[in-house]
Amino acid sequence: MKVLAAELCLPPGVVPLLLVLHWKHGAGSPLPIAPLNATCATRHPCHSNLMNQIRNQLAQLNGSANALYILYYTAQGEPFPNNLDKLCGPNVTDFPPFHANGTEKDRLVELYRVIAYLGASLGNITRDQKVLNPNALGLHSKLNATADVMRGLLSNVLCRLCSKYHVGHVDVAYGPDTSGKDVFQKKKLGCQLLGKYKQVIAVVAQAF
Amino acid sequence: GLLNPCGHITPEAPVVQLGSNFTAVCVLKEICMDYYHVNASYIFWKTNHVTVPSEQYTVINKTASSVTFTNISSLTTQLTCNIRTFGQIDQNVYGIRIISGYPPEKPKNLTCIVNEGKKMMCQWDPGKETHLDTDFTLKSEWATEKFADCKTKRSTPTSCTVEYSPVYFVNIEVWVEAENALGNATSDHIDFDPVDKVKPNPPRNLSVSNSEELSSILKLTWINSSIKNFIRLKYNIQYKTKDSSTWNQIPPEDTASTRSSFTVQDLKPFTEYVFRIRSMQEDGKGFWSDWSEEARGITYEDRPSKAPSFWYKIRPSHAHGYRSVQLVWKALPPFEANGKILDYEVTLTRWKSHLQNYTVNDTELVANLTNDRYVATLTARNLVGRSDASVLTIPAYDFQGTRPITDLKAFPKDNMLWVEWTVPNESVSKYILEWCVLSDKSPCVPDWQQEDGTIHHTYLRGDLVESKCYLITVTPVYADGPGSPESTKAYLKQARPSKGPTVRTKKVGKNEAVLEWDQLPVDVQNGFIRNYTIFYRTIIGNETAVNVDSSHTEYTLSSLTSDTLYMVRMAAYTDEGGKDGPEFTFTTPKFAQGEIEAIVVPVCLAFLLITLLGVLFCFNKRDLIKKHIWPNVPDPSKSHIAQWSPHTPPGHNFNSKNQMYSDGNFTDVSVVEIEANAKKPFQEDLKSLDPFKKEKINTEGHSSGIGGSSCMSSSRPSISSSDENESAQNTASTVQYSTVVHSGYRHQVPSVQVFSRSESTQPLLDSEERPEDLQLVDSVDGDGILPRQQYFKQNCSQHETSPDISHFERSKQVSSVNEEDFVRLKQQQILDHISQSCGSGQMKMFPEISATDAFGPATEGQKESFETVGTEAVIDEGMPKSYLPQTVRRGGYMPQ
Repeated sequence: MKVLAAELCLPPGVVPLLLVLHWKHGAGSPLPIAPLNATCATRHPCHSNLMNQIRNQLAQLNGSANALYILYYTAQGEPFPNNLDKLCGPNVTDFPPFHANGTEKDRLVELYRVIAYLGASLGNITRDQKVLNPNALGLHSKLNATADVMRGLLSNVLCRLCSKYHVGHVDVAYGPDTSGKDVFQKKKLGCQLLGKYKQVIAVVAQAF
Repeated sequence: GLLNPCGHITPEAPVVQLGSNFTAVCVLKEICMDYYHVNASYIFWKTNHVTVPSEQYTVINKTASSVTFTNISSLTTQLTCNIRTFGQIDQNVYGIRIISGYPPEKPKNLTCIVNEGKKMMCQWDPGKETHLDTDFTLKSEWATEKFADCKTKRSTPTSCTVEYSPVYFVNIEVWVEAENALGNATSDHIDFDPVDKVKPNPPRNLSVSNSEELSSILKLTWINSSIKNFIRLKYNIQYKTKDSSTWNQIPPEDTASTRSSFTVQDLKPFTEYVFRIRSMQEDGKGFWSDWSEEARGITYEDRPSKAPSFWYKIRPSHAHGYRSVQLVWKALPPFEANGKILDYEVTLTRWKSHLQNYTVNDTELVANLTNDRYVATLTARNLVGRSDASVLTIPAYDFQGTRPITDLKAFPKDNMLWVEWTVPNESVSKYILEWCVLSDKSPCVPDWQQEDGTIHHTYLRGDLVESKCYLITVTPVYADGPGSPESTKAYLKQARPSKGPTVRTKKVGKNEAVLEWDQLPVDVQNGFIRNYTIFYRTIIGNETAVNVDSSHTEYTLSSLTSDTLYMVRMAAYTDEGGKDGPEFTFTTPKFAQGEIEAIVVPVCLAFLLITLLGVLFCFNKRDLIKKHIWPNVPDPSKSHIAQWSPHTPPGHNFNSKNQMYSDGNFTDVSVVEIEANAKKPFQEDLKSLDPFKKEKINTEGHSSGIGGSSCMSSSRPSISSSDENESAQNTASTVQYSTVVHSGYRHQVPSVQVFSRSESTQPLLDSEERPEDLQLVDSVDGDGILPRQQYFKQNCSQHETSPDISHFERSKQVSSVNEEDFVRLKQQQILDHISQSCGSGQMKMFPEISATDAFGPATEGQKESFETVGTEAVIDEGMPKSYLPQTVRRGGYMPQ
């Protein structure tokens, strides 16, 4: 297990890349937040309506998570649609914990880890699906849209942590790398992750 | 030189701001300077092939020369550095292009829009034209990361669509940077959440459904765009009836929240409506979506909301005591029918009994009714129910409508024909308006409409045509039946007449002409004929126009020139213009009517008068004329002296008068020369005067004795001549073989011309013995003592004028019979008559006749002798006319 700290204020496009790169090195359990006095600078001042936007983003993700899940296992073909319990159960190892009853700061930090984890996994799934199901354009589009929303959510959460709680960076952990796995395993891991995502996002959305 | 230039200009590719100063320097190469034997002072500059004035040059050193331009105004300038070699050959050393323009202004009004499902697009106002290639770059970033720049395309330098998908609920900062060779500028940064710039996709699958329970509602359903999953929406719903062009909108507050269906209320039954819907973010941020596709729906039926218009027409019927009544009604318009009309129910009631029911699918019903009063009702039925009933009273046969409307007017307004009237005093149930096109070619087929009794103006709801004359009739309908109708005429729109009136002359006089024309047929009038204009002219003259009121059909052109060709035409005018009719020509006569007669008749009359006067004059002076032309020659053949002898005694019986002749006045005695051949010329003369003379002469020829002679004188008119004077003349000219004259015969004095018996005969001698007889006559003539003689004179003078006509008639009869016997007899009668009534036309006869008269009663013998003579004359007929031998032979005086 390897833990990396996601640096804030990286050049554009670097954060997702890092997430993906980190994920390749394996998933890790969440670690405590990095020192609070770290440099916290944004490109421009954060908007004041961040929490509302975060809620809307969570609602947006929550609203589309189930459709994405269905779209995914449908696109994988048999045996997935008829063996969801076996193949798509939310058995994801090392998934960052989320405590809905924590403080806003804690919840935001945990949210950040969850979304970072999901975002990285989604990146892997998207990459795999473009190879495994190149004609499933609807699924690709949906995966991209979800990833985009997560990207926005991460931005908002970081902005919020930075602007309000002066949290400069958060250590994140990523799931297992699927690049070396076979096709079925890739599909199965993807389906399990989306099942987990559907489950977690509902909880998280409810928490904000 | 081009491959290896002799020098160069600095700067190489200048871009300068318009209006600024610019300096260029040309530096020559040593090798060239040596080769051409020149230095920097030999340099001269050209811009666009025009030499720059040397005042702008500055020789910096031996090899360099500069030129300075102030206030550059040209966008592109070609600048060359040249040298003059060998004193005359210009050689180009180097050239550059100066480009001018402005630095970019700060872009303004940056706005962005996110079309749902598409990438974000931003646009701005670039400011002043720079005349230079200017790059605009749209930059965007989150607080935590930067996005790729959006470079504008040359075709759309004022907008840019980013490459990345929009992420909602994350604020993004956007700005534009403009840059060209002269500088750069950056717009204000805008910071927004893309969800507040979104334009949703329009709702789709809009559908409409009706409700059988409520005919006034329709339910709309639709599918929202997917953006509804994370933003709340509000809507605009609009609707209209199928044929309408304007939309009604559901109150926005009713559709201010996310939904996927809506029920529209207060709609009309059985009406097709069209709907459309659009949406936007509930808080009003962002943009309205486009309108959805339209959806249609029809509300459910309801019972007819109004009773149909109801009217009747009486048709002629042959059956006595019955009439054919055509009940007509109008199909309800859809907004009143509220559904499909299945049928109509008509009832006819006479005297509140005898109800007749009819169910009709058509809009008319013909019923044979008695002449009584009826009440008809009409209801329309659709799927849901029946309309209220229209009630119409059909009055009895002999009913006379009264109480008409007044002040009926019809006029066009807003392309409709409006009718206006003054309502009667009594309450009117409804009005019936009927109208038809007036035409000479087709009959008046009326259309009609019904109006409420409360109105007093309306327009005709029919397919009216322009330029047609409409006869409009308005009938008020009262509770007890229709009132009397009023009519008027109107045009929806007038036009010029399509034909002009044809004018013709009714009468043409010397200086005037009466023109007449027919009224234009209503089909060509195209409007109300307001007036006519008559144009007339001679061939060379100017045209004269006369306006004539439209009510006239003839007009008199006066002050025309006689014997002149006139051309006349006529135009009829409506309110919209006029139309000329065909030209007509006529020529005025030289003379007025009756003018020739007025000249000729008086001339003729004058001529006739003169002729008559001449004739009268001739007659009056005929004696004079005759004496000049035909001297009185005594006719010896008329000598009957011989006959006198036997009759002499009666004259001698007047013993009492013997003393009258004792004066012995007859002193001169002319001697008659009897020449047998002297008679002939005279006779011929007479003949030439009058054809009847011959007969007369014959008669005379047959006469014998003094009586015959005298009677011949008196009966002269009865023989042949109509001219009394002539008769008298003839009598006067009756040749006496023996005449007692006072002077020569040429100077006869009628008053004293007294016949005397020839002195050569016995009686004459006898008379000579008693000259008092003649004397008496003389004295009588002169003094008028004898009443009887006077009477005769008067009588005869009267007869001279008129009564002789009867004589003439008689004489004509006689002559026509032409029988000697009869003539004789008649002559005798006439003689008798004359002797009784007239006597003689000539005074000179008087003594004779009076004597005869006087003798008549006294002596039978004399009368008999007359008759005898007459008889003898008759017997003598056929004897030679040589009277002398006759008289001598037959009882002539000679033998006796």
